[in-house]
Amino acid sequence: MLPFIIRRFFHLIPTFIGSTLLAFIISQLVPGDFLSQKALEPNVRPETIERLRERFGLNQAWYVQYFRWMGNIAQGDLGLSFDSNQPVINLIARPIRNSMYLVILSIVMLWAVAIPLGVYSAVRQYSLGDQLVSAVSYFGLAIPNFFFAQVLILAIFLLRGYTGEWFGFNKLLLPVAQMTSTNHLNLSPIRQFLDIFWHMLMPAFVVATSGIAGFTRVLRGQMLEHLGSDFIRTARAKGLGKRSVTYKHALRPAIIPFVAGIGGLLPALIGGAGLVEIVVSWPGITPTFLEAIRQQDIYVVLGLLVISSLLLMVGNLISDLLLAVVDPRIRYG
Amino acid sequence: MRKFILSLAVLALVSLALADGHAFVWPNAWTANPGEAVYGGTLRFSDIEDPRTLNPFVRAEANAVLDLADDDGAALITRGPDSDVWLPYAAKSFTVSEDNTVVDVVLRDGIKWSDGTPVTIQDYMFRYLAETDPDVGSNAYDSWFIGDEQILLEATGEDSLRFTFPKPDRIAFPVVALLPAPDHILGEVYRAGGAEALIAEWGTEVDVASTVWTSPWVPVAFTPGERVIFERNEYWGEWNVDEAGNALPYLDTVVSNIVESTDAELNLFLAGELDLFAPQNLDQVGLINVAVQNGDIDATVLENVSPVASSQFIVFNWNMASNPFKQELFRSVNFRRAMSHLVDRPAIIELVYGGSASAMWSNVYQVLDFWVNNDVPRYSYDPEEAARLLAEIGFGSTNDDGILIDAEGNELGFTLATNSGNSQREQILQIFADSAREIGVNAETSALDFNLLVDQLLSTGEDRPFDAILIGLRGGSRDWPFGSNVIPCGTNLHMYNTSGECLTPEETRMTELYYQGRETLDTEAAREIGLEIQRIQAELQPQIYTVSPAAHGAWLNRVGGQHPDGLINTIVGFRELPLTFQRP
Repeated sequence: MLPFIIRRFFHLIPTFIGSTLLAFIISQLVPGDFLSQKALEPNVRPETIERLRERFGLNQAWYVQYFRWMGNIAQGDLGLSFDSNQPVINLIARPIRNSMYLVILSIVMLWAVAIPLGVYSAVRQYSLGDQLVSAVSYFGLAIPNFFFAQVLILAIFLLRGYTGEWFGFNKLLLPVAQMTSTNHLNLSPIRQFLDIFWHMLMPAFVVATSGIAGFTRVLRGQMLEHLGSDFIRTARAKGLGKRSVTYKHALRPAIIPFVAGIGGLLPALIGGAGLVEIVVSWPGITPTFLEAIRQQDIYVVLGLLVISSLLLMVGNLISDLLLAVVDPRIRYG
Repeated sequence: MRKFILSLAVLALVSLALADGHAFVWPNAWTANPGEAVYGGTLRFSDIEDPRTLNPFVRAEANAVLDLADDDGAALITRGPDSDVWLPYAAKSFTVSEDNTVVDVVLRDGIKWSDGTPVTIQDYMFRYLAETDPDVGSNAYDSWFIGDEQILLEATGEDSLRFTFPKPDRIAFPVVALLPAPDHILGEVYRAGGAEALIAEWGTEVDVASTVWTSPWVPVAFTPGERVIFERNEYWGEWNVDEAGNALPYLDTVVSNIVESTDAELNLFLAGELDLFAPQNLDQVGLINVAVQNGDIDATVLENVSPVASSQFIVFNWNMASNPFKQELFRSVNFRRAMSHLVDRPAIIELVYGGSASAMWSNVYQVLDFWVNNDVPRYSYDPEEAARLLAEIGFGSTNDDGILIDAEGNELGFTLATNSGNSQREQILQIFADSAREIGVNAETSALDFNLLVDQLLSTGEDRPFDAILIGLRGGSRDWPFGSNVIPCGTNLHMYNTSGECLTPEETRMTELYYQGRETLDTEAAREIGLEIQRIQAELQPQIYTVSPAAHGAWLNRVGGQHPDGLINTIVGFRELPLTFQRP
């Protein structure tokens, strides 16, 4: 196993250089630069813009900029943001953490809902329940997250109308934006945790729905395959109960691909929840990323890409290793 | 609105008259609810941008911390919402020399930083030195120059400062509204480590409690991406009072929530979690009105308060050496007037903005009504007149495709571009192209990436790579509403002609008038010059102005102290925060 890990580690280096080079070249192909917008201000002197361009090194050839940037990365420095003159890592650390909260809850929700549904669909194949699960989960897959979030926000507001009319309860049942309440800092640690959890419920649910369809269909297929196999027949023949056969014997091998995929979740954790974060104003990675792209604050954009590609590579490695752990048939030499 | 005649000599007298007391008195005329205010409470509003820095020398744009903590600090002079007259603020008084080039300022006693350190002229000198240091790269750097000559600031006594201007200048005068920067903290860093050390200070990771300010509220907690919480600065009330002599501000706490989209802002406002909101369009106004009618929130909504402080226009390229036909066409004043006749402004107002906009005829933002020339020639929507003007320059017949042609058979057509992603501008282009097509002008529309468009627009020389562009400008000042990079020939936003020299006598005249107006500190006289610039530009039509959208506003009725009716617009805003209060 160790030689395999070492070999894989050395493979990561050219992959990493290739991906950063590609990202850097693409960032250079975009017209204009960080200072282009400033040039449209009616009272800014062109000399000032040229001076700033020189200070940021934007007047140098792209490969000079790239090698300087790579040199810094080798020393663990992701560079400075043009916009705020701060180390990129300071700007992106907190949004990454905030996105992780959301993504972790949505993954927990996804597994909590999708595993029972997948098992149910396989055990009750072609039943009305199976069809219903398929229909609803495909609905979740088909509806864009940002739109579904807006629909849910509308539903929360509509519900306020009804509860106000019927029960005199004129408050929203769930928060419709942001990660914390205004008085968050005055709350006890446990109340702070609950405050964030309360704000996460709706967006995490939205993110989870998009994964449910794929997850249940694959799990259903895996389960059906195993349920029809010889060792299940043997288990049944031995007189094991239905629950034991389903959950102990069929689900265990069926879940292997998902366990192996856990490594792939690493980059997803910092990838954020996409446009849902914009809709509910979640201070995660997506707003930071989009703002940096809008401003062409390239080292912030590239810093995020570097971290995600590193995590993607490490995640793949972990997946491969996990596969060996959960599936005794696989050996690395 | 502005019935004042102002010269700086008169100003100095006014300033002395107001400087009798120890404190600056916030007039009752600046609030709709004088005498109703009570102490305490919280104001919750939102900012769309996450502050990227707390360092005033690094900031480049709107910033939820610095907008309040720095901008509302102890500026030497200030202006109220009701007039453009400068009032001494952190200055006890100021005097302007007869030739309008020297301004002497005496600092008010008793102003303190939020850590209790007295504010001295050293704090203003430090700010000046840092802002004029090119290595610091402050956004304010350019404001300290008139052309290439620097405005000088020197200490003339223990509590007095002197600004020396190379020549009188309307745009440059507001540098006298200088803010202090903490010499005892940032000044020491600057002296020890230079520009590089200074701009590395006060990033978003700084402990806000260690930062000091001279504003009514100071930041006490900052969570990036979430909110900034400000608490009352007790020292501020020692030199700021209302007319009854009560220390200001009234509110204990101000919370600025960072909300990255206006839709999310609207949701929070509808949920009753924001006190102030600026609806972006009539749809949002409608949703708020429904919530008010249903009794979900108790709010005031103001629709079409005033035009926004920006312009939108079509500009034709006069520098097309490689295409003499188009170059001659775009340089023809009759052609450009005809194009103005093809801009269906009423249709744009109705279809694009739902009635919530007004036609623009000159190069001054509609909201600056004191400066706007309402008597400029208007080449309003009139396709027949457009066809007549085009016939005059030789486009009297059409080809088989129905496109106007001249005697040599050249088709009258061009490409009109705008920035992609701006659906309103794209709709304006389509409305224009449809009207143009009706009389045989082939205007092909295209939407380009914003930076690509800007590169084309700012390209210089005899041959530039575009036909026509629809774009807008923001910025500019209420002191002289013409951009220094826009009107004079040879400047980078003189978009129709960047050959470096004036091509028409009208451009030469506007350039002369621009500089003459800047140097005229008598506002009424400057206004006359401004009216003339607008008249010439409207006749020349180098930029064909379209429409100016309107702004809206809303607030929960739990807060009071907004400006009185008539004192609300996009320049002076909806309220003075120190006079804002929460109703019991």
